[in-house]
Amino acid sequence: MREWWSKIRRAVNLRRGLHDDLGEEIRSHLDFLIEENIARGMPPDEARAAAKRHFGNQTAVRERAREAWQFPGLETILQDLRYGLRGIRKAPGFSIVVILTLALGIGANTAIFSVVYSVLLRPLPYPNGERLIQLGESTPKASGISVTWINFQHWKHENHSFVDMAGFHTAVLTMTGRGDAALTYAGVVDSSFFHLTGSRPLLGRLFTEADDRWGATPTVLVTEEFWAKTLGANPRVIGQTLDLDGKAYQIIGVLRPGLKFFGRPMDFYLPLGISENNTVKRSQHGSTRLLALLKPGVTLSSARADLDAIMKRLALADPGPEEDHRAYGEYLSETITGDVRETLWILMGAVVLVLILACANVASLLLVRGTARTREIAIRAAIGAGRSRIVRQLLTENLLIAAIGGGLGLLLAKVCLRALVSAGPANIPRLSEAGLNWQVLLFAAAATIAVGLLAGIAPVFTARKIDLTSALKEGSVGSGENRRGHSFRNGLVIAEIAITLVLAFGSGLLIRSLIAAETSYPGFNSGHLLALELQLPPARYATVRTTLPGASTGEAARQFYGQLMQNLRGEPGIEAVGAVYCPPSAGDCGDFWYSVLDKPAPARGDVPLSLFNTAGNAYFQTMGMRILAGRGFTDADRAGGPLVAVVNEEIARKWWAAPQLALGQRIKVGGPYMEGPVYQIVGVAANVSQMGLDTAPMPEIYLDFLQHPSQQRVVMIRTAGDPAQLIPAVRRQVAAIDRNVPIQSLRPFERWMEAPLARRRFSTLLLGLFAALAMILAAVGIYGILNYWVGVRQKEIAIRQAMGAPRSAILRWAGWHAARLVALGIALGALGSWGASRWLKSMLFGVSESDPAMMILAGATVIVIAAFAASLPLWRAIGVDTVRYLHDS
Amino acid sequence: MSTVGNQPERLEFLQGTLEVLILRSLQAASNHAYGISLFLEQQSDNEFLVDNGSLYPALQRLLQREWIAAQWRTSPNGRRAKYYRLTPLGRKQLVAAMSKWMRFVEAMGRILAPEG
Repeated sequence: MREWWSKIRRAVNLRRGLHDDLGEEIRSHLDFLIEENIARGMPPDEARAAAKRHFGNQTAVRERAREAWQFPGLETILQDLRYGLRGIRKAPGFSIVVILTLALGIGANTAIFSVVYSVLLRPLPYPNGERLIQLGESTPKASGISVTWINFQHWKHENHSFVDMAGFHTAVLTMTGRGDAALTYAGVVDSSFFHLTGSRPLLGRLFTEADDRWGATPTVLVTEEFWAKTLGANPRVIGQTLDLDGKAYQIIGVLRPGLKFFGRPMDFYLPLGISENNTVKRSQHGSTRLLALLKPGVTLSSARADLDAIMKRLALADPGPEEDHRAYGEYLSETITGDVRETLWILMGAVVLVLILACANVASLLLVRGTARTREIAIRAAIGAGRSRIVRQLLTENLLIAAIGGGLGLLLAKVCLRALVSAGPANIPRLSEAGLNWQVLLFAAAATIAVGLLAGIAPVFTARKIDLTSALKEGSVGSGENRRGHSFRNGLVIAEIAITLVLAFGSGLLIRSLIAAETSYPGFNSGHLLALELQLPPARYATVRTTLPGASTGEAARQFYGQLMQNLRGEPGIEAVGAVYCPPSAGDCGDFWYSVLDKPAPARGDVPLSLFNTAGNAYFQTMGMRILAGRGFTDADRAGGPLVAVVNEEIARKWWAAPQLALGQRIKVGGPYMEGPVYQIVGVAANVSQMGLDTAPMPEIYLDFLQHPSQQRVVMIRTAGDPAQLIPAVRRQVAAIDRNVPIQSLRPFERWMEAPLARRRFSTLLLGLFAALAMILAAVGIYGILNYWVGVRQKEIAIRQAMGAPRSAILRWAGWHAARLVALGIALGALGSWGASRWLKSMLFGVSESDPAMMILAGATVIVIAAFAASLPLWRAIGVDTVRYLHDS
Repeated sequence: MSTVGNQPERLEFLQGTLEVLILRSLQAASNHAYGISLFLEQQSDNEFLVDNGSLYPALQRLLQREWIAAQWRTSPNGRRAKYYRLTPLGRKQLVAAMSKWMRFVEAMGRILAPEG
């Protein structure tokens, strides 16, 4: 304590004083010695010199005495920093290469980490977000399907594992009575939802259980954004009503901003129970999923077992078609991130490999420089610097370089991040919130220090073993060139080649997948196609939902679309028009069970699933989809007439030997264990990439719009020229029929098809960039180390030449050294690629994860780059001027 | 590590001994650094070699612990020098250290040169 206190006092007041004081004390000490020497009869000059000799190294004495007063090296650290800066200035070329390498490595890592942190690691913005679970039902064939209202009520009141549970789904409603009719988006939730998400009202109140009751006054809770934009931020809005789908809802509150539970911003929230509480059938599914908060200490699997026990009890008490349904649950964080998780971790892994490469490069550069500095270090040791001090100084210098690199890296990360966020696909959740927050800065700092230490440790070890006398002798080659340093550098070259090969192979596979996806035939002609997406306001175009997704009955909707198609067909520049419920690449708009009547009934658990879609007359023709057998829909397929369906090739091939054999066959919707309509197959259409270009075809059944009118359709318009030019004409046609129909989207169809590929393009681009970065780094590294290898062997080369070795022999000797390293690196990298590519498997399309051609291509690329990097040093090796070299030494 | 010329037969200080010896050298009267080194060399019959690279840091450490204090004064021959003296705390430390070292030396002697 006492020592520390006095150190602090001295540090604050007396540092400079101590410095002068010591100097004066040493001078007076010398004076005593001089005086004594003169008294012995020496002449004054000699007396002074002898006194100095006798006293010893003044600087070292002074420094060590001063060290006694210092905090662990504060002053020496400052001095080391000064030396470090001097060192950096003294070798600007070297320093720039090292700093840029580090900046690239650290910058890329920081940017990707920032994305990983924002998307995957950052806690959910809800209280106890780490215990929030999303629940659904599971069947033997599918998991995570919607929970029926009655099951939900049983789960909610009979479970022992959850603190609370809330049902939710979304709805699109038409709001009238406040200006033009407008489409609005609602979260339909029960009263527990706001407690679980930690939401609070800005005005009024939240839902209570009374709002959920059947027959209660319909209430609505508006968001702050909607309140400000549409309701004019009126503080007396509570008690007013909103007309939604023709029904009046009383406004009970305004929600504070910040609730971003659903994928898109919501306008308001409606009580879930009010529309569901009259449900009587346990198997009646809507689209409700549950949000549930696990009790502390309860595991997800035991909670699922708890709910499954309830389901088993219910199956006995209330048997029905869904006796085999069970509970499905996953952490909300996983639901949100979904398949992005894997992609991002792969990218993070790749970028860490780049950082390791950068590290290896810097280590080798420092090693080479450290050897060149052997003399400088030896001189420092000779004039009194302790070994530990030298090690500390080298480490400080390396850390300083790393810090400068890290700082530049941060700037780079900031720029890259902005590009990433703006170029990134829109469907990565929370990507836009990625930034350089303190967690990311911490990561960057940790990476910088780790790199500084890792890259710096090898040269420091070499420096510790410097043998003073041999290092100080003129012309000696530097004692850093020992066996251990040598094999370390070889190891670096091998590692760099291996890592580069892994990245080249991985990104090669992704690039091939992207090309395969982009050039794959979607099953139709996607050029010159305009897509008009409409959702008719339900108030005017009332429909009744049936069990089939997307299907409904409604004369008004049928008339509207009939009129619109007819008018569009008359528009100049439009060649064909056909409507569909769910266009190709829009994904899964609903799947359901089906069975073929004339085939043996499948077992209960084996009822096949198919995508269901609805299309109108001339749709297949407009899209340019091949009809393999039979016909598409025509005006002859009327409501009330026999029910018809078109199946895709996938289904036809599954059940029949040839598409023609499917014609006239009957399929039953819902499968054998459920009531459902029966359709006659009138046509077989070619497969289209329903889930996106990079997916395998799935079974799909098309029903007819005339028999199943829907408010929501995508009208496909085949144009003669540029589809974008017809956008105003199409808008006009829609408005001419009904001014109150909002257009959801109107754009060339190629834009639709790009969307599912956006993420693939994004990850491929990034991985490709990392691979390119890796190649550059590896080339620099290989060049540096081989160049050094040749440098220290100039003498040997000169002697070999003098002994009569021809240049070709020198080239073979040096080339053999390089080739051995490359071969080892390639072998190691091939092994690594083999391991890493299995990780990539889920991201590949149209190429095997162990594609030998890609392996050979990647290996050849790396070899070419290595050969290119090695050629300069090898050229230097055969260019050694024997006579001059031997003469000089 | 010696910074003075090579006289292999002279002894270097064992770890921790120099500080005790400095305290002992100041027991009778205050002295300056040169005086302390002279005292130690003479009292040991030139067996000990006082390296300034060790002496000065040791003095600083003793100052820090406040076992000694320093003051600039004029020496009897008219030269300004920094004089060190024992503080009461240092005196207490010296007594404790002396008895410890005496026991240590006796024990060493008994082992290294057994009588009879």
